Amino acid sequence: MLELAYIDPGTGSLIIQTAIAAAIAVPLFFRHQIGRFLSVVRRRGDEDKPSAPLHDSTRGR
Amino acid sequence: MTAPGVADPATPASGTDPPAGPGDAERDAGSFRDPSGFIFWHDGQPYRQIQRSFAAEWDAFEASPLKQRLIDGGRLIPYETAPTERAQSADAHAVIRPEKIEFISYPYEWTFGELRDAALLTLDAQLDAMAEGWQLKDASAYNVQFRAARPILIDSLSFEPLEEGAPWVAYRQFCEHFLAPLALIARRDVRLASLLRADPDGVPLDLASNLLPWRTRMDFGLLSHVHLHARAQRRYAGNEDEGDIDAAKGARISRQRLEGLIRNLRGTVERLRWEPAGTEWSDYADHTSYGDAATADKARLVEAFVGEATGSRLWDLGANTGRYSRIAADAGKRVLAFDIDPAAAERNYRQLRTEGRSDILPLILDVANPSPGIGWAGRERRSLLDRADPDITLALALVHHLAISRNVPLPMVLGLFADLAPWAIVEFVPKEDRMVRRLLATRRDVFPEYSLDGFRAAATERFEVVREAPIEDSLRVLFLLRRR
Repeated sequence: MLELAYIDPGTGSLIIQTAIAAAIAVPLFFRHQIGRFLSVVRRRGDEDKPSAPLHDSTRGR
Repeated sequence: MTAPGVADPATPASGTDPPAGPGDAERDAGSFRDPSGFIFWHDGQPYRQIQRSFAAEWDAFEASPLKQRLIDGGRLIPYETAPTERAQSADAHAVIRPEKIEFISYPYEWTFGELRDAALLTLDAQLDAMAEGWQLKDASAYNVQFRAARPILIDSLSFEPLEEGAPWVAYRQFCEHFLAPLALIARRDVRLASLLRADPDGVPLDLASNLLPWRTRMDFGLLSHVHLHARAQRRYAGNEDEGDIDAAKGARISRQRLEGLIRNLRGTVERLRWEPAGTEWSDYADHTSYGDAATADKARLVEAFVGEATGSRLWDLGANTGRYSRIAADAGKRVLAFDIDPAAAERNYRQLRTEGRSDILPLILDVANPSPGIGWAGRERRSLLDRADPDITLALALVHHLAISRNVPLPMVLGLFADLAPWAIVEFVPKEDRMVRRLLATRRDVFPEYSLDGFRAAATERFEVVREAPIEDSLRVLFLLRRR
């Protein structure tokens, strides 16, 4: 890539772009994880719905 | 596509740089930066020679689904394969003939919306390319042109195979050519668009960072791609540290993160908004100095005169939001709608996009200070007058601004129109008109020649007066002029 480039990609531009891309990826990662967590919670909620409230209240003890 | 090796004997008689002349091939003065090929002209048609050094990449691109995807999607200019005998030198691998762009315009002549659409096109092409295992190797704003009023990439050699893990080489160029000027217009002042004219390599990021309001650091995209980017450039400037060079050469980025970066750039560009209000003329069309009867009569006369003039390319100078450009386009002309006011031109562009029209392109132009030639030898990006080839000039409610506000003598104004095109449709607005009285209100009248007789005398120096018609219910006169 760098061997083929005819424009100067810029030392600082190359280094900062990987850092920025990493920073962008962080919230994306968390959003993905939060999404997974929520979908698991929702699925569990759906599973729990048919169950009796009494059963549910005993779960944590 | 030429089979490898066939290009070998395809050498013109002279081999190198034939003398430029009508019909002779001439290498384009703006096509020299990328060693993989160049544009040349033959019989008024553009050709692109692809060098042997880029043969493998070119053949792969030609065979790729990406090429067709880009062309079908209206993102890359269509082209035909040309005979290799057309080649300009022995090191040619292939020659193509791209579709000709009717008028080459430059980023400093575009409205905010045009520059923004060109930026989005560039990023969308990069996303298309990445999806097929390719990437843009440059992101120059000069690789975008307007065809049928829509932006399109004209450089078929901009694509190269994506190297897994490599950062985007054109990231810096994209930020300097597109993001920085768009941010400056949207977040500081529309007049900073002229920085593009000052430097053919775009707006330096440290300058953009200095000029942008501090609060733009609250925007993640602008903070990263402009402010921190500028700091990184300063930090690593000069390549003084071997370790830095190694760090840059070793910079890796996964394909997923690279796509995230491009999408973030796209979102940052999309969030930049500029509302065309508060500048000189954008409300002018709604507050003209004459009544409905005069407006209707002027429209009728313009339509009649446009119909009488021959040729299809019309330049509307002082087009404002394009009322008369539309009349000319409805009469079958292809119109460039120039205005000095970026807000008027932007309003025109947005309206035209809504209407879905493709026969009018708004551009920004100060007739008293047209784009000069810039770049290498002053010829890399040609001056506006060097690119001018209209058949008809339309100049309505313009001459008094040039003659009185800018002190340009009438013979020079008419002389410019005569240099531009064989036909001119010109409105003369006399001193007694309310608009001219306003221009003269606070200054000494140093314009004894500015009169209807003076206008006629100036016009007949270069033109023959074909029609002269007073505009009903006003003091103004419309002329149809034909160059002698």
